[in-house]
Amino acid sequence: MDPIAIAALVLVATIAAGILLSVPIAVSIGLGSFFAAIVLLDFEKAALVSSQRLFTGINSFTLLAIPFFVLAGVLMNTGGIAGRLIDAAKVLVGRTPASLANTNVVANAMFGAVSGAAVAAAAAIGTVMTPRMEQEGYQKPWSAAVNVASAPAGMLIPPSNTFIVYALVSGSSISALFIAGVIPGLIWAAACIFVVLLTYRRYSSPQAAQPVTFRQALWVIWRAVPSLLMIVVVVGGIVGGYFTATESSAIAVVYCLVLGFVYRTIKVSDLPRCLLDAARTTAIIMLLVGVSTALSFVMSFSHIPEAVSDLLLGISESPNVILFMMVVILLLVGTFMDPTPAILIFTPIFLPIVTAFEMDPVHFGTMIVYALSVGVITPPVGNVLFVGARVAGLGIEPVVARLVWFLLALIVGLLLVVYVGPLSLWLPDQFGLLSE
Amino acid sequence: GGGGGGDVTILRVSLNQTETHPSYIALDNYSDRLEERSDGRLRLDIFPNETLGAQAEVMQLVSDGIIDMAIISGSQLENLDLDFRVLGLPGLFDSVDHQMPVVHDPEIVGDLYTSLEDSNGLTVLGGLTQGSRHIYLKEDIDGLADLRGKKIRVQESELNLAMIRALGGSPTPMAFGEVYTALQSGVLDGAENNEVSYYTQKHYEVAPYFTNSNHLVGLDYMVVSTENLNALTPEDRALVEEEWENTWKDHTQLWEEATQEAITETKAGGATYIEIDQDEVREALEPLADEFLTTPEQRELYDKIRAAAGEQER
Amino acid sequence: MEPIKKGLDGVLRGASVALFALLVVVVVWQVFTRQVLNSPSAWTEELARYTFVWVGLFATALVFSERGHIAVDFVVTKFSAPVQKAVAVVVQLSIILFAGAVLIYGGIRASRGAWGQSLSALPTQVGVMYLVMPITGVLIAFYAVYHLLAVLRGVEAAIEVDDNPQVV
Ligand code: NA
Ligand code: NA
Repeated sequence: MDPIAIAALVLVATIAAGILLSVPIAVSIGLGSFFAAIVLLDFEKAALVSSQRLFTGINSFTLLAIPFFVLAGVLMNTGGIAGRLIDAAKVLVGRTPASLANTNVVANAMFGAVSGAAVAAAAAIGTVMTPRMEQEGYQKPWSAAVNVASAPAGMLIPPSNTFIVYALVSGSSISALFIAGVIPGLIWAAACIFVVLLTYRRYSSPQAAQPVTFRQALWVIWRAVPSLLMIVVVVGGIVGGYFTATESSAIAVVYCLVLGFVYRTIKVSDLPRCLLDAARTTAIIMLLVGVSTALSFVMSFSHIPEAVSDLLLGISESPNVILFMMVVILLLVGTFMDPTPAILIFTPIFLPIVTAFEMDPVHFGTMIVYALSVGVITPPVGNVLFVGARVAGLGIEPVVARLVWFLLALIVGLLLVVYVGPLSLWLPDQFGLLSE
Repeated sequence: GGGGGGDVTILRVSLNQTETHPSYIALDNYSDRLEERSDGRLRLDIFPNETLGAQAEVMQLVSDGIIDMAIISGSQLENLDLDFRVLGLPGLFDSVDHQMPVVHDPEIVGDLYTSLEDSNGLTVLGGLTQGSRHIYLKEDIDGLADLRGKKIRVQESELNLAMIRALGGSPTPMAFGEVYTALQSGVLDGAENNEVSYYTQKHYEVAPYFTNSNHLVGLDYMVVSTENLNALTPEDRALVEEEWENTWKDHTQLWEEATQEAITETKAGGATYIEIDQDEVREALEPLADEFLTTPEQRELYDKIRAAAGEQER
Repeated sequence: MEPIKKGLDGVLRGASVALFALLVVVVVWQVFTRQVLNSPSAWTEELARYTFVWVGLFATALVFSERGHIAVDFVVTKFSAPVQKAVAVVVQLSIILFAGAVLIYGGIRASRGAWGQSLSALPTQVGVMYLVMPITGVLIAFYAVYHLLAVLRGVEAAIEVDDNPQVV
């Protein structure tokens, strides 16, 4: 047998076996790459190349944006912004039918705009909203489903760590990706509101919307604005060319610190814990990025992306069909894998194929992030689902039963993002962020 | 080195450019000629787009024999041995036609190219030109004096920073991918590069004034794993070396064509090519040699190369 | 082993917090020098990148100490208790193999190879920076041995339930 074929087999078998046996995903990828490299080279060279790729994979100024955005998110959350964002969201959705459910969706989208952490959104917003919705006559499993379905919108709305990881492996501009994610993120939220409006009658008893006075509205918006200004600082700074994404992430940290000290929600003695929390999340992502850099070396070295490309092109030469196959694969992978490792594994394989038929890498970025974000709310592995159900005091089964329509609508939204390029590319193009 | 089945030797080459770049095309032609002359026994497997890694790491992978060959920028080799800095000094080469014969003249660079064999397991086979580099700007200038205080993007290195300072500008290190946006928004007043990058990166859209500053003629090296090179049969090794000579000549020709195309296209896209006094530029850059040449050997190499420029003028 | 683990955890926490704080300062300084002082600093980016790698790998070791790296356990939870225990042993042995071969052996080898390779702006070598790999490799292997023994003695669960799950 050809050593390259053996290496490919060893690679896939090790990673699959490792993941199924609950070996940390990063270790599974690291060992798979290492074993495959032994087949291609020898033990010493395999160890050397694996470690060197691991190190250089994380030695990146781009990646540095992740710890800062994570830290900014932790600081914001420590400052307890969930309540303010919910109040502001409530004013924004006004007296629409099922206004509390829509409030939950909009609050999650806003939370996503100040922190990319979908689990933190589901926990912070759900903890407040799900009981309040129950009081007002909404069925609890459905309320939890609304919260769970809408929480991942923040993974598309900037700032977004998943886009940073994608920028790293694809070589595309973070700035362009951040701006490109805005409309798909709003589509995500809109899909949730659409299902809310379609189904709320079955899951809630009629309730009168609370009128909000103009003065009250101004007051709650005023209270939420300083938090929401963070996205203005980040996106405005990038679009205006004042600083890079990494620099803007550092500015976001400073901004959150100042805000926390002014509001007296953060004490200096809180800082070590905040730094440690952010360092932990960052470490998990970093190790994945590091071992995936070794993986992509082994894959390139043995021409695996070309082999997959030939395989897919053998099934069909139509870009639309190939994209559809990719969407199906990504949705399946997303059911059991987090977005970051899946992006790290599949981008090097899929991106050369789609760029060959002239899809913009930024567009493919919104596609892959959106598709994999769907997985965070599906069993068997879906931490947003788990946390959303837990803060509602429910098991996952009743929530999953209420999620079906949301999932369908989100997938329709995904197909729009995949097949209507301007939804992703129009905004960054307006700001001159698409260089090619 | 190599791999693959049977008696076929495949040399893996890492490249940081795309498949349309002259370097890739020249290497692809190199592979074809090797395959033809060896009756299919020897060929290259070229990995473009840094798929095997960025240059600093790839250089180490070559020295360990994991990758056989790589195209590496001069600044990477400077990090191993400062003597390579001589060939990267601004103002050293007058033109590509001065540069290419010099960097393949064993009399001049022979010792330098084998100097990393024992220490790092790297043999330098030769160089590929990266063209004359020039400063381009958002606004028109009349001469070097107008460059004063202008923020010019450079690749991050001591020498590059000193170079822009010597020309009166304010050097601003920045990642290549961010330059377009920074020029557009005015974070940068200008940048410096060759005509080809000026065109392919569309910088002419946001910085339409291209000078003829000719401050530096860029050079990439072809480095080979010494271990893997020594493992080749004498016939194969001779083929690799002979066909390399045809490769850099082929590449120089391709580069010239790409440069001419870039000039035509950028002019059509609204770029203006402006003339400044090149002697003034050369004079401003001269102190850099005193500042950055630290040993008598480096000075000797520098003088030999300058002398070769004189020969050409005659 | 317990007191050693506690001590190491403390050291890693301290180092992570201190280096992370330094990282924030360095990048903010970079923005400041470029935007306000108008004279960008040449060494900040390199310092930030290497600090990031060090803090990230230290924190990675800490997460191994807490068994917090994301893993897929929905298959394993369906196994019987003895099988779960066997799987837990395989998991920790995999971590030891990874740490030993890639981080320690490969890291030392890579460090030796890059010992003479200077950084662009900082007065040290790439090989020195690579030392973080064998250092964290030893820590990770230690933690894996600790968990392996703890699982075998029955003081730790075969499958750790993550109280604070995240999406990465
Ligand atoms: Na976000
Ligand atoms: Na899932």
